[in-house]
Amino acid sequence: MAYEAEKKSKGRILVDWLTTTDHKKIGYLYLITSIVYFMIAGVMALVIRAQLTMPGLEIVGSKEQYNQLFTMHGTIMLLMFATPLFAAFANILMPVQIGAPDVAFPRLNAIAYWFYFFGSFIAVAGFFTPQGAASFGWFAYAPLSNTTFSPGIGGDLWVFGLALSGFGTIMGGVNFITTILTMRAPGMTMFRLPIFTWNTLVTSILVIMCFPPLAAALFALGADRKFDAHIFDPANGGPMLWQHLFWFFGHPEVYILALPFFGIVSEIFPVFSRKPIFGYKTLIYATIAIAALSMTVWAHHMYVTGQVLLPFFAFTTMLIAVPTGVKVFNWIGTLWKGSITFETPMLFSLGFLTTFIFGGLTGVILSSPTLDFHLSDSYFVVAHFHYVVFGTVVFAMFAGIYFWYPKMTGKMLNERLGKIQFWLLFIGFHTTFLIQHWLGVIGMPRRYATYLPEDGFTWMNEISTVGAAILALSMIPFLWNVFITWRKGEKTTLNDPWGYGRSLEWATASPFPRHNFTSIPRVRSESPAFDLNHPEFASPEVKPVVASTKKKG
Amino acid sequence: MLSKHAVRLASVPIFFSIGLALTGCADIGTKVNETLKGINQTLNDAGPGFLPKGSVNATNHTQTITNLWVGSWIVLWGVGIIAWGLMIWAIIAYRRRKGENRIPPQLRYNNPIEALFTVVPLIMVIGFFAFTAKSMADIESPVAGSRNIQVIAKQWSWDFNYTDSKVHEVGIQSQYAGEPGYNSLNDVPTLWLEKGVPVHVKENSRDVVHSFWIVDFLYKKDVFPGQTNNIYFTPEKVGTYKGKCAELCGEYHSMMLFNVHVAEKNEYEKHMADLAANPATSGLLSNTLARNQNLPGNDPNIKG
Repeated sequence: MAYEAEKKSKGRILVDWLTTTDHKKIGYLYLITSIVYFMIAGVMALVIRAQLTMPGLEIVGSKEQYNQLFTMHGTIMLLMFATPLFAAFANILMPVQIGAPDVAFPRLNAIAYWFYFFGSFIAVAGFFTPQGAASFGWFAYAPLSNTTFSPGIGGDLWVFGLALSGFGTIMGGVNFITTILTMRAPGMTMFRLPIFTWNTLVTSILVIMCFPPLAAALFALGADRKFDAHIFDPANGGPMLWQHLFWFFGHPEVYILALPFFGIVSEIFPVFSRKPIFGYKTLIYATIAIAALSMTVWAHHMYVTGQVLLPFFAFTTMLIAVPTGVKVFNWIGTLWKGSITFETPMLFSLGFLTTFIFGGLTGVILSSPTLDFHLSDSYFVVAHFHYVVFGTVVFAMFAGIYFWYPKMTGKMLNERLGKIQFWLLFIGFHTTFLIQHWLGVIGMPRRYATYLPEDGFTWMNEISTVGAAILALSMIPFLWNVFITWRKGEKTTLNDPWGYGRSLEWATASPFPRHNFTSIPRVRSESPAFDLNHPEFASPEVKPVVASTKKKG
Repeated sequence: MLSKHAVRLASVPIFFSIGLALTGCADIGTKVNETLKGINQTLNDAGPGFLPKGSVNATNHTQTITNLWVGSWIVLWGVGIIAWGLMIWAIIAYRRRKGENRIPPQLRYNNPIEALFTVVPLIMVIGFFAFTAKSMADIESPVAGSRNIQVIAKQWSWDFNYTDSKVHEVGIQSQYAGEPGYNSLNDVPTLWLEKGVPVHVKENSRDVVHSFWIVDFLYKKDVFPGQTNNIYFTPEKVGTYKGKCAELCGEYHSMMLFNVHVAEKNEYEKHMADLAANPATSGLLSNTLARNQNLPGNDPNIKG
């Protein structure tokens, strides 16, 4: 392709990236930016873990700085790493998976990215101000987040930066929904969409339902902070109003983080088991059920406020375990009687499943108010949500990067380094977070800058900190792998280097051509690429047309 | 080709940092000993299901909570072992052998099995909800004739109004700064309760949201400015219990500690008499000290 081969000056390449409206390039921008934020917030986590290694340490200058660190760690990991990472994978893959040349609104797509870029930068820029970044926790409970208790420009930057970035996320959601609904290739019916695309659709619907309330709440908080608006004043029930608005966003947000990554592993398990996903439609219904229920459970974050209807929120929360369990058993069903190999993407996906199952179990425990009264706001909760969120987002992210790297760059990442990275990550993660469950049960509250020697938390914190160091080390083989592949990696010429790819991206060149396909792809089942490459095993409804497909190939 | 080289390169920083970590502890022997002592201590302090041992019969609710905790974990471990077991079995039994070149049957649905793993969890969830609903209704129910206590949270300590005895205590935050041998009992406030007497704790805050957590009582409740929250329980075992603020409340959140001392009747009454005799602690503490400018006071009964 002459277009790609043209030699360009560095300035032109830069201008090209800054002004691009290509969904893949925007996806790569999202991917790179969010991984940079992942590493920044990861370094913050290391400082937090160092501070907690022993009682009474003062690794950071003051407790206020410690509060800034965990506030920004949470904010960055959720809103500047995991949420945009969804946009990254959705941008790179979804149009290809539906057989479209781009998204529905390419320029809206670009502005969404730049809103995210500048919004995030504004929120983090609090660190460059005299009083530092926001320190009221990533859920900014009123009235702690008002200017009486948290003066300083860092809090203002946090509020308005997140509001700006949130608009980017909303625009991304609108774009993905429109693209999936209107730009599918001929034959790509809704029930032939890959699971990842289905999950992108459902996630985007969640985004447009729950990010606008967050934007409204943030502007209201901004009005309180800058114009003395008294919206969240305790005199008129402001603290509870904020918590309701925040968690009405905050709980669906957890599923916005989780569903796309469930989608990624749902793409990977079939390829390395050499079987279609087990219970394709059940999996989709389960995703829709999770999304619907997730809009009704927000107050389970507020059991200990004493001001929510406990039975209602307990029951809806417990119900979520059912579709989630369905998903887990569908993934196991995909492995069942397969022919399984353990390339790095598969290893990470299995790491995800192992971790996620435990996060699910502790989630059921926390759904019961009787037990949550003790565990709420303790390290048990910290451990639980790291099992769920880290287990899902980070494991599935690496699975996805290794899996689709040949599609993005035309080169395969090194397998051996990938496996070293996986085992360091897996061991490091479980060493860090498993022990924190017990830490919470025996009484360590979250967000404590230090604890007392007689609390008996010390040895557990030591183990956790050692685990965090191992976890951090696992980034070295990854970065090295990306570097060495860039310098020395061999180009792959295959459309489907893994050999058993199913969805449309494996039926086009690696890396993707400029408009994804050189001709409109033909779709007759939920596994078009697999049908093309293994016609003798294609699904029954496709068999009659196998001959003509072969001639073309 | 690059892989062996790469492994060697990757191992350098790993061994370097492990080495650093090990030499960092000047005296490894003592360190390991201390950690082992800590593990031993923790295991000794572990009660049922790793809940703190001090929680056994601490209040009239801890047994209910413990039963649900232990029962739930038994069921959940069962579910977990099935899920992990199936996964590991699949990984081992269905791995692709060397030289194998087959594509397995392309099974896509099995409706009976899918129905099974939808309906069985649903039934379990309904059962779990039933136990939860019963126990939380017990925990959250007021008891007639309870003794009234008002707990007032403030950045970053606690004030206690013994409403019925018309006395109060004022707390300051923990002063711990890493010095060895520091005993927090000396400076953080202590809430006194009488063994066997049901209490009704009313919670108010002077500034931001806090949370009143008595670890061994297996219970916490948030403390709000502008509204009153209630806790109902009966302490049933004499002893001193650790309490902590569990909701982020600003810079010294981790210093917002307190103790709860459950005493026998005569000891409790003597303490109340001592507080009444001291002009600094007799009478009730005003609620008008709130820092939220639009909130002169929360409870009309305790004004001035």
